[in-house]
Amino acid sequence: METGSKQPIELILAAYGRRLTFREKLTQVHQTLEAEGQLTPNAVEASTQVRAWWQTHRPTLAIAAAVAILSTMATMILYRSYQNSHKQDQQYGMMMRNLAVLQQTQTKLLNNISGRGRVFQQNPGQVAGSGFLLTASGYLITNNHIIQGADSVYVQSQQGEVYKARLVHTDPQHDLAILTIGQDTAFHPLPPVPYSFEARPSDLGERVFTLGYPREEIVYGEGYLSSGTGFRGDSAAYQVAISVNPGNSGGPLLDERGNVIGIITAKQTTSEGATFAVKTNILLNALLSVSPDSLRGQVLALNRRNRMARLSRKQQVKQMQAYVYQVKVFKH
Amino acid sequence: MRDTVPTLTTDETLLLGLAEGSDQALTRLYQLHYPMVLHLVVNNSGSTDDAKDIYQETLIVLFEKVSAGDFELNCQLKTFLYAVAKRLWLKQLTRRGRSPLIRATQFEEEPADAVADDLADHLRRDQQFDQMAESLTRLGEPCRTLLEDFYIRHLSMQGITEKFGYTNTDNAKTQKYKCLARLRKLFFADYKDND
Repeated sequence: METGSKQPIELILAAYGRRLTFREKLTQVHQTLEAEGQLTPNAVEASTQVRAWWQTHRPTLAIAAAVAILSTMATMILYRSYQNSHKQDQQYGMMMRNLAVLQQTQTKLLNNISGRGRVFQQNPGQVAGSGFLLTASGYLITNNHIIQGADSVYVQSQQGEVYKARLVHTDPQHDLAILTIGQDTAFHPLPPVPYSFEARPSDLGERVFTLGYPREEIVYGEGYLSSGTGFRGDSAAYQVAISVNPGNSGGPLLDERGNVIGIITAKQTTSEGATFAVKTNILLNALLSVSPDSLRGQVLALNRRNRMARLSRKQQVKQMQAYVYQVKVFKH
Repeated sequence: MRDTVPTLTTDETLLLGLAEGSDQALTRLYQLHYPMVLHLVVNNSGSTDDAKDIYQETLIVLFEKVSAGDFELNCQLKTFLYAVAKRLWLKQLTRRGRSPLIRATQFEEEPADAVADDLADHLRRDQQFDQMAESLTRLGEPCRTLLEDFYIRHLSMQGITEKFGYTNTDNAKTQKYKCLARLRKLFFADYKDND
């Protein structure tokens, strides 16, 4: 018996028939509805679907929108603050660079004090410092570290006149150099220098002042003698509490009465207000060792008469200005 | 056919109407849920005709389950129909060698297991009916028409006797019996599934 274990063929046939009938009916319904235009509902149904979707997801969308707005604002604020902080960094950095440049220069000044170390390795380039007349005939004193390695040295007066200078003598150990501009035809001998040179040691607390060219203009600086010795107990120099800058090197250090007591040479970078000046007696010693040949027969006699002793400071400065020069050095 | 149900809106009444073969229920089913399936198919690289076939197939699955009398709806009818249609369309896509990845709404209470069972049944019936169609074709006339008239078009024995020109209904019955026996032989010769 085949039908025993199997579904009766009649039932299968009947089911088959039902399906055929149903399928036919479906097709009919479909065609009817299609003819009535009810099955092209994309427009209508789509809109209801969109509406349903909107209804379902409105709370979610609201939260999402809120989060989006918040995060946008937060991002903007963060970005702004980042920008600001970044700008500050830059300003800070620039300041650092400036400091670094100054420090470098100051360290060079400092190194020079003991005569050791190479100074001013800027090449090719220009180095500027200060210097002042020893005599009205055109002898100048300045720092050795300024004119070291120079091809040509020019000095410029406060009025802006430039003279070619010739190196007469150097004392690297004490960082001194003697120049002359007397050979320059443009140079006309000045009235005798108004200040004298004080070889005796000055006392602590002595009011001192200086003139120099830390920039293109002459600059006046004032302070007091704070120590009888220089850097690391250097007996050839004074320590002065005076504010100087690179460029002041080679400038005169004068006491109240207008006596030159030293030549500004360097400044300690690690502490505030510690400037060093080579003592005048060192200068005098240096003058003694100048060879007569390099003087070319001229006499280098220092002025001994101080004509500024009774003048006010303003008058003293005015008198002196014409005798303090800017030293410009050209190197390869 | 019950015309006493004025509006067929709830799932229950719809199913009831479907089991009774109500055209109204069918129309309503079409109006309610066809757009959803159309949207699904058209949005996933199908045509309108594909949508039509898929929805018909879906309704056949539903109809045959309902007529078997063991259908228990555990979710919304809409969800059930969508799940079935989605699976059918996936199968269709796979058969066409397309990627079986579709964008579809995932309903939360989708009766995945139940639908899978239903579709397995459906597939089995499909094979059975294909086999039946083939067997009927091979049966030849007049047996085929006789059997179809009796079992599918539900003609009475009397009607068949007259239509085929038999002398009496007994003759027709004997003829029907012989045809059925041949069909059974043809059908089960190839149809191995003895479920």
